[in-house]
Amino acid sequence: MALTYEKIASTTLSSTQSTVTFSSISNSYTDLVLVMNPISNTTSGSYPYLRFNGDSGTNYSRTMMQGTGSAAQSDKSSNSSEGYFIYGNQVTTDAAFNAIVNIQNYSNTTTNKTFLSRTNVASDRTEALVGLWRSTSAITSITIYCGSNSFVSGSTFTLYGILKA
Amino acid sequence: MTITNKVSSKSVMAGNTPIADVVDAPTIGTATAGVESATVTYTAAATGGTATTFTATSNPGSLTGTGASPITVSGLTASTAYTFTVRGSNSTGTSPASAASNSVTPTAAPSFESIASVTVSSGGASSISFTSIPLTYTNLQIRGIGRTSDASTGGNLATYIRFNSDSGNNYAFHQLSGSGGGTVGAGGGQSQNLIYTIHAGPRGNDLANTFSAQIIDILDYKNTSKYKTVRVLGGHDMNNTTAQRMALNSGLWMSTSAITRIDIYLESTMAQYTQFALYGIKGS
Repeated sequence: MALTYEKIASTTLSSTQSTVTFSSISNSYTDLVLVMNPISNTTSGSYPYLRFNGDSGTNYSRTMMQGTGSAAQSDKSSNSSEGYFIYGNQVTTDAAFNAIVNIQNYSNTTTNKTFLSRTNVASDRTEALVGLWRSTSAITSITIYCGSNSFVSGSTFTLYGILKA
Repeated sequence: MTITNKVSSKSVMAGNTPIADVVDAPTIGTATAGVESATVTYTAAATGGTATTFTATSNPGSLTGTGASPITVSGLTASTAYTFTVRGSNSTGTSPASAASNSVTPTAAPSFESIASVTVSSGGASSISFTSIPLTYTNLQIRGIGRTSDASTGGNLATYIRFNSDSGNNYAFHQLSGSGGGTVGAGGGQSQNLIYTIHAGPRGNDLANTFSAQIIDILDYKNTSKYKTVRVLGGHDMNNTTAQRMALNSGLWMSTSAITRIDIYLESTMAQYTQFALYGIKGS
């Protein structure tokens, strides 16, 4: 049987930049998995999000739940122009934030795109989130934003593709 | 004039190239298991000729590796016990084999392999089954999207799974979920006849073209001495038009049988484009 979990691209930033983009994503996989360990240039924290195919329309929504060690909560947002994969300004200047975002059936052209995100802020919280991009277009690019701030050197981003039989 | 080689007692004629002494058997050291491989240490014999090559040979399989100590023997089969012998050789010949090494069992190389997938066609489906699942992996993972074509507004219309066609009360599951309303809920139960993976999945009258997404991990599925555990990451977002949910589930099948069949159900007809794929994960 063929191996089916492949690294598509990976980057470790060597300088500060406001976005990271994976483009020209092949449609040959079934799911995508985006693994991130981003670091922000501001101690006050940044609100990371992603966009697919450069879409900045209000076509994103999300539902999440999280636990902080002392409390649990659930929140949702709709008709957003940002595809949030964590709730809040959780990317700061340390490397304590990590995220794994599973983008299911990203290349089909008949369904909206649902993604599942598991994020951890080592010193603060853990979270699970489901996001929706209301588009039946195949995803061919993903851009990750550090809110209105920037990612700094050492931030890592890796995109994997998963094939099905 | 005849010169007698004092170790090997082989004779050579003066003026010809001398024949090297025959190599004596090395002393075996320690074998150490690797990923579908093993390393073998040895000590060259203090007597006899000087070996130019050392070869380690596996038993079973007669797979070989050469070089200085430690020698790596690759291409071994994971979960199979091996011993090794080492021989030295030079231009004269090959030594007897060393004593056999200790027994080692290589581990599997990590891999993630597609086993099967099913996509529901326009006619819908009542369930999806994966049968004759090979027992060659460590863990299984199911990845999928789901929706029911049922437009009813009652009931949960959940997704659930069963193993080996067992519909007895041999399951348990627990869930943390949030629908965006502030609180995080908990549910589940013991002595169930199924494992819920998603409650309240998308229905026919929910936001069009929108499916739940699920990732179901089934751990150590072929173990025949302990019960089987399941973890689920799943959810569906409906842009706040109808119920949405993010959930983390755990499940238990109280059986020591290896899992060879998985059935996935929705509590109503699966809609077209519902898709589930089964993967096998190797490696410890």
